[in-house]
Amino acid sequence: MAIRKDANTLTIAERTEFVTAIQALKAEGIYDQFVLRHANAIMSAIHRCPAFLPWHRRFIFDLERELQRVSGNSNLGIPYWNWPSGGANASMWDDNLLGGNGDAGGVVQTGPFRTGQWTVINSSGLPAGPLMRAFGQNGLPTLPTQTEIDQVMAVTPYDMPSWNINSNPSFRNQVEGWIGPNLHNRGHVWVGGSMLPMTSPNDPVFFMHHCMVDKIWHEWQIRFPNQGYLPANGGPFGQNLTDPMNNTPLGPIGSRPIDVLDSIALGIEYDDSVLQPQPSIPLIVVGAGPAQADIGTAGETDVFRFEIPSFGPYTMYTNGSSDTFMTLFGPNDPNIEVASDDDAGENFNSQITRNLSAGTYYLRIRLYSSSTTGNYAVAVRSADTSPSPTPIPIPELVVDGASISATISAANESDVYRFTITTDAIYTIQTSGTTDTFMSLHGPNSQVPEIASNDDEGVSFNALIRRQLLPGEYFVRVRHYSPIGTGSYTIRVTRG
Amino acid sequence: MANYKETFEDCEIEIKDDIHLFINGKLIDYQHDRAKNKFSSKYLPYTQYDSLLELARAIIQHTVEFSHVKE
Repeated sequence: MAIRKDANTLTIAERTEFVTAIQALKAEGIYDQFVLRHANAIMSAIHRCPAFLPWHRRFIFDLERELQRVSGNSNLGIPYWNWPSGGANASMWDDNLLGGNGDAGGVVQTGPFRTGQWTVINSSGLPAGPLMRAFGQNGLPTLPTQTEIDQVMAVTPYDMPSWNINSNPSFRNQVEGWIGPNLHNRGHVWVGGSMLPMTSPNDPVFFMHHCMVDKIWHEWQIRFPNQGYLPANGGPFGQNLTDPMNNTPLGPIGSRPIDVLDSIALGIEYDDSVLQPQPSIPLIVVGAGPAQADIGTAGETDVFRFEIPSFGPYTMYTNGSSDTFMTLFGPNDPNIEVASDDDAGENFNSQITRNLSAGTYYLRIRLYSSSTTGNYAVAVRSADTSPSPTPIPIPELVVDGASISATISAANESDVYRFTITTDAIYTIQTSGTTDTFMSLHGPNSQVPEIASNDDEGVSFNALIRRQLLPGEYFVRVRHYSPIGTGSYTIRVTRG
Repeated sequence: MANYKETFEDCEIEIKDDIHLFINGKLIDYQHDRAKNKFSSKYLPYTQYDSLLELARAIIQHTVEFSHVKE
């Protein structure tokens, strides 16, 4: 169990233990191997991409194991650099831990890593002079504040196409610092000197810095348990959930993002695990007047939810003078993108009109430019002129019971069914008929987690899912494979 | 297309045809973010720069491969 503490709160004995362990690894040549592992990785495979967070989680985890080995303390954790209280006068920069800022020429002259005591290496592993620092001298004079961290902590999803510095909204991209308040990149630039190039692990503060980054990701994962790592698949090689990450050795744990998603399973504990409650998502009432909102910080994304009572055409739109960009997710899953729009509304407002099936939908609204702020109003209205629809209860399928016949009668329509499992066994859910159906299975006891999906496993173009299911209530969503396709089908659930 | 050459902190920067960057004769690979019109390099993973020349100067200043800091 590694116990990671705020670097500023370490006792003198804890400081000595950490510094001694770092120096021991340097003497063994192990520390420089870590510098080279980072320096010789493909820059764009570990930065500016989804694997940024898991790659560095595994990286500092491995160093932490080495620190535990040389110290003989299996609870030794890398201290984290708590940026809001970690400015130039913080005690972590005292001579008994990291030492302080560089001199007029940038050379660190104080602390255990001062010139003469600590030599950095270049990417070839050759000695390349003293450790350099220049606090706040490279264009970013301040460190991230708690308010800015809290702002990033509210961003979802984890990441999205184009999976790089232009991904927005993206928690990873905001933490890394290419959009929003800039957390991680700012720490490197604020320290300056040896923290600027790919050999940045030459400065031991690198590991404290990334410990803070990893802590933020850990807390975000607990706060949003339904927001998984993305991309699961279909992204660039090395970035998908089960791809091996660049320049990451085999070890006690795997080298894929999926192997490092659970900090607690890795034996990591933080000293101040105060978890923020998941922010409530404002509800838009369908048919009500536009709700005022604003993007107060550049790069910010607002999230809204609304309930569709039954299938039909709906319009989601903004108005005002801001150039908005809107993305629609759902039904019942904030990660499934349905559509997006930039300028289909009046002026530069976004607007989406489409058929929606019953369920909960989510709108993410940002400004087209990630460097501007502005106000807007948002609303959802039925695009149907017929009387207000009445919610229809979800039809129930009975295991080994009768089939239910239904029809996909309009573009983008999907039908939802529920069934209850009382015995742990294998079950088959399938459609029949001449319609090319697509089916997804959700549960247990929730419409959100998708546990399986299928297109053509059944007869002809029918969908079929066969799966071991634990007792609980499950939901099946059926749509036409084509977004514009229609047709009738029947559906049933059987055991076996 | 223009060529440019200067000496910066004892290193020679050369930009050929506005797009090919050399430092001390070594061709420097870089990325141009067209959306933001910013330049960056694998040498400096945490920053972007407004021009190729600014990028070259930063690489010389901040990477141990090109800087000449003496103990």
